[in-house]
Amino acid sequence: MTENNTPDTLTKKELEERQNAHPFAVPFLWLGNQKVIDNFIWFPVLGMIAMIALGIVYPQKHPAPWDVVPGSWAIIGFAAYTFIVLCAKPLTALLARDEDYYGEGGLPDPEYSTEHTAHEHGGDHHD
Amino acid sequence: MIDIFQVNPGLWLILAGVICAFVPKGDLGGWARKALVIGAPIFAGIMITQIYTSQEVLAGKINIGGLELTTLRIDNLSMVWGYLFCLIGVLNGIFGLHEKCRITDSSALIYAGAAIAGVLSGDLLTLFLFWELTAISSVFLIWKGGEHAYAAGIRYLALHVLSGVLLLAGAIMYANANGGDYMFNNIGLDVPGGWLILLAIGIKCGFPFLHMWMQDAYPKASITGTVILSAFTTKMAIYALARGYVGTDILIYIGAVMTCFPVFFALIENDLRRVLSFSLNNQLGFMVCGIGIGTELALNGVVGQVFVHVIFKSLLFMSIGAVMYRVGTAKASELGGLFRSMPFTAIFCLIGAGSIAAFPLLAAFVTKAMIISAVIYEASHGHPGLYVIAGMLLFASAGVMEHSGIKVPYFTFFSHDSGRRVKEAPWNMLVAMGLASALCIFLAFPWGGYQMLYSLMPYDSSGYTPYTVDHVVFQLQLLFAAISAFCVLKKLKLYPAEKRAEILDFDWTYRKLGLGIVRWIGAMWTRLGISMTRLRDRAISGTGRRLYQMFSPAGAMSEDAPSGLAAVLTAAMLILVLIFVYFVR
Repeated sequence: MTENNTPDTLTKKELEERQNAHPFAVPFLWLGNQKVIDNFIWFPVLGMIAMIALGIVYPQKHPAPWDVVPGSWAIIGFAAYTFIVLCAKPLTALLARDEDYYGEGGLPDPEYSTEHTAHEHGGDHHD
Repeated sequence: MIDIFQVNPGLWLILAGVICAFVPKGDLGGWARKALVIGAPIFAGIMITQIYTSQEVLAGKINIGGLELTTLRIDNLSMVWGYLFCLIGVLNGIFGLHEKCRITDSSALIYAGAAIAGVLSGDLLTLFLFWELTAISSVFLIWKGGEHAYAAGIRYLALHVLSGVLLLAGAIMYANANGGDYMFNNIGLDVPGGWLILLAIGIKCGFPFLHMWMQDAYPKASITGTVILSAFTTKMAIYALARGYVGTDILIYIGAVMTCFPVFFALIENDLRRVLSFSLNNQLGFMVCGIGIGTELALNGVVGQVFVHVIFKSLLFMSIGAVMYRVGTAKASELGGLFRSMPFTAIFCLIGAGSIAAFPLLAAFVTKAMIISAVIYEASHGHPGLYVIAGMLLFASAGVMEHSGIKVPYFTFFSHDSGRRVKEAPWNMLVAMGLASALCIFLAFPWGGYQMLYSLMPYDSSGYTPYTVDHVVFQLQLLFAAISAFCVLKKLKLYPAEKRAEILDFDWTYRKLGLGIVRWIGAMWTRLGISMTRLRDRAISGTGRRLYQMFSPAGAMSEDAPSGLAAVLTAAMLILVLIFVYFVR
């Protein structure tokens, strides 16, 4: 272990990432690991399969017509989500315009309340 | 002496807001203002507790010009909104502690006070007064967003003042048909003025095609302003619907549409505060639909949903506001990987996201299901058409998972690393978000938590248990399936990348089309004016020239005429007169 209590096995990039991260976030930096991101899919998929199985064992007490199909809510969730996302491309083509389309500067970052502009204006400019 | 138990508690906040406006600048004045911002809602909450005695309280009666106004009514419905607005007023006050802005403090207090006074008012005229005051006081929070928020503020103000005018017109028609009684009770659509009042509420509530002000103004307000704005106006409108239009069928369909259409806009929107505004619209749809169903279960669900929604929606706006405060933008395309720098904010945002998506043990799980269950129950008891509505609500639930459950936290705190390394949010923001998160967990807690929330509901809810195996399992099916779909679409690179763009909404009709038509009419009017002037000038000069040619000393009439021609002309005229007289007689 090094002086600042970090393992010697860390690469330079990892060390730099640790130094730049919030102390509370350091134990969770693995969340940014590409392998973790790639394999995250198994968590919801396995969860979904488990819930479908449990749904067969414990059916709805007040079923809707679609509840006769095992895993009906999973099917609805998956299909609805996929449909919504797949609508993005045609909708973007139809509705997306330049940010300054209305000539009002798009959706700006407020001049007030942000520390950046507050500093520029002397910090306490809007009392 | 004024009996303070006869005073509408919202007025104390309005008074505090007025005092705030006159508190001198400087550190001491700033802290005095902040004490008022946090202390006034607490005092108002205590006053509600003192006045309400589990029975309906009608007080603050004033006689103006023969009209008796009931400025204070606290019953089991208005009490919930009153407490909620006080609670969120305190949280907003803590969130905005860092902001040394007299206008924000003052308008936030007056705005919250007007909302509380509005929901605690007993008659339509008092409601109208505070309805308009919410609009006028809140527009300053939008204008605090900077110069580019000015036009959005004007549009916001115009629509909300119009809403107030419609409410007043409807109220007068309604009262005239009821012998001058302005009391705000169940109105419905069958009475004169009913449709006008519904339209007025619809504007504030964000009915389809009347919703655009929300997505236009909220993302342009100041950071604190957006958090404050998200809590009051729309929920005040939901209260008005719950008071006046319970069981109105059309609300079922309006609500169902409201839950679905914002989902698509939220998907392609890049600005996360606008995404949350669409999400707000979607959540209001569930409430509107529940009011339309109108059964005890549905209304309990609406009241519960309003209560938790204000908290988790504020939490989400706060977390994105905290990010914006540190990073300077709320655009998804510019964010990512911020959990490294802002881990507490990330956790709070995830709690808000889980709450709105209705994960078990988090807020909406114990309330949203009541509305969907009420729809399914009604569908299975003689209204099979309502299965379509239930299907729409389930579809919208998957949509909520998309835009608020996944998109907002994912693109802000995870996704690709934007490389931004910033400080964690200021302590006051963390405290406000922490309290809101604690409430999101507590109000869904199976042992003593949700029971406390249910005790606020207007009808007995002891027959409804949210934590049944089938409810947990089927809800998790929906949510896990939605997350799985997200992962699959990401892997297949079918999930759209965030792009900076302006997404057209229905406000295009007046911001572009309407403005274009007005400009075209203006241009045509100018051209018509020029043409008319030219025609008039030409006609005047032509007539003058002809008269001159005829009657001037050198004109035709001055020329010598032969006597023979004169005799012929006279004879011809005589003949014409004789013919005329012959036929007329």
